[in-house]
Amino acid sequence: MSTAVEVMRRELAVIVGTSRVVSDPIACAALSVDGKSPQCIVYPASAEEVAATLRRAAELGLGVIPCRNGTKLGVGNPPRRYDAALSLKDMNRVWHYEPDDLTVTAEPGMKFGDFQHFVGRHGLWLPLDPPGGARASLGGIVATNATGPLRLRYGAPRDMVLGMKIATVEGKVVKAGGRVVKNVAGYDIAKLLIGSHGTLGVIVETSFKLFPLPAERATFVMTAGTLGIARDLRRRILHSPLTPLRMVLLDARAAGLTVAGTPLERPVKEPEIWLEVAGSPRVMERCHRELADFAKAAGTPLRRLASEDAETVWARIADLQSWLPRRSSGVVILRALLPDAASEELLSRAEQEAENEKALLAGFAQLGVGVLHFCLLADAATPAVLGLIRRLRGAAESLRGVLIIERCHWDIKDRVDAWGSPGDDFAVMKKIKETWDPKGTLSPGRFPGGL
Amino acid sequence: MPAIFPRHLEGFMKPQPLVRELTRLVGPDAVLWRPEDVMLYEYDGLSVTAPPEAVVLPSTTEHVVRILKLAARERVPIVPRGAGTGLSGGATAAEGGIVIGFARMKRIIEIDIENLRARVQPGVVNMDLTLAVSDQGCYFAPDPSSQKACTIGGNVAENAGGPHTLANGVTTNHILGLEMVLPDGEVIHTGARFWDRPGYDLTGFVVGSEGTLGIVTEITVRLSRQPEAVKTLLAIFDDILDAPRTVAAITARRITPAALEMMDGFTLRAVEEAFHAGFPMDSAAVLLIEVEGLREAVEDDAEQIEAICQENHARDVRRAKSAEERDLLWRGRKNAFGALGRISPNYYVQDGVIPRTRLPEMLAFIEQVGQKYQMRVGNIFHAGDGNLHPLLMFDARDKEQTVRVTKAAGEIMAKCVEMGGSLTGEHGVGLEKRDLMPLIFSPDDLEMMQKLKAVFNPRGTLNPAKLLPTTKMCGEIRVQVSTGGVL
Repeated sequence: MSTAVEVMRRELAVIVGTSRVVSDPIACAALSVDGKSPQCIVYPASAEEVAATLRRAAELGLGVIPCRNGTKLGVGNPPRRYDAALSLKDMNRVWHYEPDDLTVTAEPGMKFGDFQHFVGRHGLWLPLDPPGGARASLGGIVATNATGPLRLRYGAPRDMVLGMKIATVEGKVVKAGGRVVKNVAGYDIAKLLIGSHGTLGVIVETSFKLFPLPAERATFVMTAGTLGIARDLRRRILHSPLTPLRMVLLDARAAGLTVAGTPLERPVKEPEIWLEVAGSPRVMERCHRELADFAKAAGTPLRRLASEDAETVWARIADLQSWLPRRSSGVVILRALLPDAASEELLSRAEQEAENEKALLAGFAQLGVGVLHFCLLADAATPAVLGLIRRLRGAAESLRGVLIIERCHWDIKDRVDAWGSPGDDFAVMKKIKETWDPKGTLSPGRFPGGL
Repeated sequence: MPAIFPRHLEGFMKPQPLVRELTRLVGPDAVLWRPEDVMLYEYDGLSVTAPPEAVVLPSTTEHVVRILKLAARERVPIVPRGAGTGLSGGATAAEGGIVIGFARMKRIIEIDIENLRARVQPGVVNMDLTLAVSDQGCYFAPDPSSQKACTIGGNVAENAGGPHTLANGVTTNHILGLEMVLPDGEVIHTGARFWDRPGYDLTGFVVGSEGTLGIVTEITVRLSRQPEAVKTLLAIFDDILDAPRTVAAITARRITPAALEMMDGFTLRAVEEAFHAGFPMDSAAVLLIEVEGLREAVEDDAEQIEAICQENHARDVRRAKSAEERDLLWRGRKNAFGALGRISPNYYVQDGVIPRTRLPEMLAFIEQVGQKYQMRVGNIFHAGDGNLHPLLMFDARDKEQTVRVTKAAGEIMAKCVEMGGSLTGEHGVGLEKRDLMPLIFSPDDLEMMQKLKAVFNPRGTLNPAKLLPTTKMCGEIRVQVSTGGVL
């Protein structure tokens, strides 16, 4: 082992203890990012230890990437430097929990599944269905503002975070916001950290607003025939007072893949709309009746699913980043963000582009939200993949949206920016990065514009 | 070099060089400088007075750019102003300079119903946006009590709330993108028409920054769909503490009404005398509760809420029978500050926030404080959010009363902080609470805020003396009670 690595290990061990600095190659490889593995993993156990670790790392000129289970580590450009992974695994405590006030304060390493179970005992939840599902961590969800189709009804972490504490590379722990549900005291610093992908500071504690679990839920599926029919159904449903919890449009390939291996497995030939509604039995009855009317008017059947089966499928839709790559290792996952009404148009253009390239593409659209995922399934030659990514990005941009590469082989990322080009507010973003992290210690190079 | 205008101006003055320059940039009809003209811009809802040297009324982003470039060159402070309804002194020209009024930038640029978006200029009145989209079944969700006057630019600056933000979220939850001018005149566009544009959430950071980071010239908002059904309930209590107990019980039962407001008996009587809204004159407190959504869901929620009110000893729970009855109840609530203004020469309104479970305790504490300092207190709470607006009644002409109200306000604020709450839920820090910030933020927290402010506003010329403390705290809480004085 080189001396520099030895120095780093020794220095960090002074802060967290020898047993909490690990350089086992297998463990390090598991946290590799775009082909780069860290030299060691540090496991701090408190906010102060995180802050001290960051300060020392900055002094040593290291590159540090904060993580937990690594469910979102693939998102972003390849890191400029990656010396140490800062694992928040050992920070999984709940500091404040007031079920009757619907507020909670917890550490970032807590797994989302454990958290939901913890607050679920009191009929509460954090209404998110982020990539990574139960394995995602609270810190990762907040740092990436991760959402799934549930965003339609409930919004994003951005709308649920009341405050946080952040460890900085200066070695300080600063507070933003508070623990009450309404608060305008001071700058809303938490907004900068939410979605910053670990490039400004490390979130060491977050306070959330919780929501009551819905009484009853039901999932319905409609076959859409064409994307035009799908568009009409989306309009009717979203303009109606039914307010679904979540609603997706899957192209035939996406729908087939999603149900494959579940109790609902069957051949799928047409696009499908899946939606979930919630409420009292009276509300459910009303929803069922009106959805049946919409389906009838569109000339398509409506099916109501058993809730357990539906739950499995929703988990797969929200977390396609986990299971799709297991089907084919070279899978490329793209996420488009655009004004919602253009969702079907983008799906249709993507289909056309894929056909021209003879590529296997699956499209998942979160309706009412304006988020689409495109998954390029088979291993294709790099130039073909690059060409398709560029054309899909062009299509998204022409519909006034953007396209982000969520997962692909790093040699593709070397040639096309994962985020697309920044806007006229980039100079301000750059200064914000320099204010928090002047030496580029945290996730260097991973954010838009190489921040 | 333009000279700084003298503070006390006599009439018949000639415009100073700064004013002449502004006139050249935006036209003579867009610049106010005579003392009698700028007088209206000396104060906002906090009523601390400070005269600006000039007031400019730009019509375009380009005008704002020119004004900011001039101000940067001459190192003159810039203070943006919507309708001046803010309650924390945010629109006061604390250090003189140029007030930019947005009265002429009030165009709704685009309405996109299918995507539930609108683009507006900052001077658009909050209610006017809702009216513009109501035919199409939509509305703009943030509804500050001043919504008939206040502007969306002001809502963005203050991250304004309102009674219906309990279920629907405050301003920041409804703003997707901004066009803003930085102090050097550079125009930037933050966010997008969709959520989560790659990069830092500058939109989220700028909303609520009280005009200290940039001058917003265009706003992309999210519209909401009108609910199918709305039910408004009025729960009447003979014991004042039963009202907050009911609020805590509703929250604990996992019901989130669209609005959950409390007014005490003292306030009610003032409101009733002013508006004849139908509030009972003899009760100790009422809760104004609104549920909205699908017809069936609203019915279920209303039944449950009624039962909870009765369990908590409500004397009566009435339902508004018509839209007119509902409007009347809300008119009473939204004009309650004004009603109290009729019965006392001055009042000081606070805006603290506490955990909702602690509401009964807090209300009892406020009563004690009122007794201790021998003053009448009207309590108007956004109770469902734990956001308190106690109004302390006093006469500013009496120095001794002013001292008492300052002490009382300080004790109430200290209690909010002790309960783990916040200084302000929706009115902003402004001039009023800047020196209280160290009560809830450490020197490190405040230093980070200062550094981030400097990214946008390095010379501090945008809305100076707001939001961040000017002095270090030394123990005693000194609330700055507005008495209509000159700054």
